[in-house]
Amino acid sequence: MSPNSPGADQIDTLLWIGFVAATLIVVAIVGALLFVARKYRAERGAEPRQVSGSRRGQTRVGAALGVFAAVLFVLGIVFTERAREVPATGPAGLAAAGAEPLKITATGQQWLWRYDYPNQAFSYYKLVVPVDTAVELDLVTTDVIHTWDVPALAGKRDAVPGKTNEIVFRADEEGIYSGGSATLSGQAYAAMRTEVQVVSPEDYERFVKERKTGIQAAQDRVVELIESGERDAG
Amino acid sequence: MRAERRPEIVVEGFPARRPRWIEIATSADHKDIGRLLIAGALGFLFIALLELLLMRLQLAIPENSFLSPVAFNRMLSLYGATTVFLFAIPLVLGFFYYVAPLQIGARGTALPRLGQIGAWLFIAGGTVLYASFLFTPPEAGVNPLAPLSETAYLANNGVDAWATATGLATLGFVLIAIDLATTLRNLRAPGMAWRRLPVFSWAAAICSWLLLFIGPVMLAAITMLTIDRNFDGIFFADGSGGAPLLWQHLSWIFYSGAYMLILIAALAAIAEIVPTFSGKPLFNRGAVIGSLVAIAVIGTLSWMQNMLTAPIGIGWMYFAMLMSLALIVPVGLIAFNLIATMVGGAVRVRAPMLFALGAFAFIAIGLASELSHSLVAAAWKLKNTTDATAATHLALAGGAVFGGFAALHYWFPKMTGRTMGESLAKISFWTMTVGALLAFLPLFFAGGLEGQVIDAYKFFDGTGVNAYNLIASIGALVLTVGIVLTLANALLSRNGGPEAGHDQWGGESLEWFALSPPEPHNFDVLPDVRSARPMRDIREAIAHRAERERPPARESQPVA
Repeated sequence: MSPNSPGADQIDTLLWIGFVAATLIVVAIVGALLFVARKYRAERGAEPRQVSGSRRGQTRVGAALGVFAAVLFVLGIVFTERAREVPATGPAGLAAAGAEPLKITATGQQWLWRYDYPNQAFSYYKLVVPVDTAVELDLVTTDVIHTWDVPALAGKRDAVPGKTNEIVFRADEEGIYSGGSATLSGQAYAAMRTEVQVVSPEDYERFVKERKTGIQAAQDRVVELIESGERDAG
Repeated sequence: MRAERRPEIVVEGFPARRPRWIEIATSADHKDIGRLLIAGALGFLFIALLELLLMRLQLAIPENSFLSPVAFNRMLSLYGATTVFLFAIPLVLGFFYYVAPLQIGARGTALPRLGQIGAWLFIAGGTVLYASFLFTPPEAGVNPLAPLSETAYLANNGVDAWATATGLATLGFVLIAIDLATTLRNLRAPGMAWRRLPVFSWAAAICSWLLLFIGPVMLAAITMLTIDRNFDGIFFADGSGGAPLLWQHLSWIFYSGAYMLILIAALAAIAEIVPTFSGKPLFNRGAVIGSLVAIAVIGTLSWMQNMLTAPIGIGWMYFAMLMSLALIVPVGLIAFNLIATMVGGAVRVRAPMLFALGAFAFIAIGLASELSHSLVAAAWKLKNTTDATAATHLALAGGAVFGGFAALHYWFPKMTGRTMGESLAKISFWTMTVGALLAFLPLFFAGGLEGQVIDAYKFFDGTGVNAYNLIASIGALVLTVGIVLTLANALLSRNGGPEAGHDQWGGESLEWFALSPPEPHNFDVLPDVRSARPMRDIREAIAHRAERERPPARESQPVA
């Protein structure tokens, strides 16, 4: 899955750094093991040298390993800080959002994601966000721990009862990004999927307005039914 | 006058030995308890493999319905509890408990009844876990995170069975650790200073102290979970003074420590085997032992590496990353010293050495892939994907299964007086190696590239992971066949293997001075220990004496 947000880009870069470091380590260790096991095998008939160590060599190897670890640590912090940066809303984005990211609440519940938009509209399963706009997802849960996971857009985060966790991302291209939940949450865990639909700001505005009107109409209808029911009964 | 005859000592015969099962059930001899732990652990390994196979069968094709979601979660939970609490830790402790007293020249352990209770508590824990099939097995996952593990979400008794089983086993491990720590402190033979202690006994001491720290933490967590579930507790419930994250901190401290415990034991066993089969002393012994201590401390302090997606402060995430990355130094030093030990040696690749080298390679691959999981932002992508499954399995299967089998092949002659079949061992090793690579390497791609999530009972068609999962399932089958071959080899060789000598491999520590299998009291006499290689000293002394007592050879050419 190719990344489609500045944060996910940084994450992927760091991932590649980790992958290269890991490959170096594996090749060095496994290669050296195979090499010495072959080169110094007993069949060559040489008497084993009885050496028990060298303090200076040890210090040097230890220092080299320490430097290697320190470089990875610094790179880790640099790219993590970049991935954490709140991206600015671009020219193609939602102008109404202004300097602040667009705040949407994502609620995990067994086994569905619910999204609450700023205008009190809400949707289940599908999150609709405007393109090129900084979005802040506030993650909460109504029951167990759920992990919001749409790898193409952002790193994953846990929604933990009693806490609010935060994901900030900016989708750079319109399209549909699928994901789901990444912490075992009970029976239907694997089926707890989600989808992020990235659309133009106009489409986003239209979507939340329609949702809002639809929800309002449905609520009015319910109230009407209750009232008429009361009238009939009375 | 003749002195009155002394009364004769009449031997009527030895008291008849009690039935075998009574001997096994009542013995507090460290060798019997060690064998009980090892045999129990290997038995549970077999059961864990069946569970793994069932899960991999379910995940062989997309959207499979072979196992129901609940059945899958049960297999997953049982597998997690079995591999950690009933296989890896007892296997490690079994080898420590059998070998360490022999290595330090002790006639037994200091508090044998404690070790005995510990071993039987582990068996009791395993029995409780599998007795849960009579009602409902646990289904809250490998680490049953609160609040999913609370009664509000899983009201059946599965989680209670999990808590009781792991609680009993952990209590047993702590008791064994107390016995081992005391034994290593007090019962070392004359001259066996700490600086001369074999690496494996050092690991026994380190791991015992580690268990004395992490064991009670887990027992506290399990007790709190039990109180929450059965007595209206609120430890892990949010909003009433409790916190779900509390469970994560406590349990991850234990799981991280246990991970390190398995690695330390495996690395120490490898550090016993590699010098023996290279004919050289361990290179930089002191640095290797220091590194093992460092792994125990630093590795356990990195517990929050498992919580990088949880709502904790970014500073703590960097702390976890620092601790995880710091592990590079001790693990790297051990790698360097093991390789340096082989350089210039006479390397004999017999079965124990083969498994030891394989174990080290797998641990290296596993830990190197864990590296990306500690880089904070990368962990946000990799956490809870099958990439984590693969990394953890490679490191821990490398440590506990390959490393455990290396130890098994190495000390089997000491325990039974027989060696394990060499050719079967080699077939098993290569089958396991191919199986492990096939089973776990594809999961790196499925998790790292396509983001397939962990613990899920199914995956969806069209997410690009079909081939990876099918290969992984085939690999799991091959791996299982390989492991079963070694288990069968051990069973068959116990009575039928080629007879072993007392010093089968030319080892350098005192367990090779005892008979194979050792007498109940371990040693008739003990030499003064004068170096870190007492068996080498003994061999040299014998050779020296033989030379001294042999008359000098006569000149062949008489002087004219």
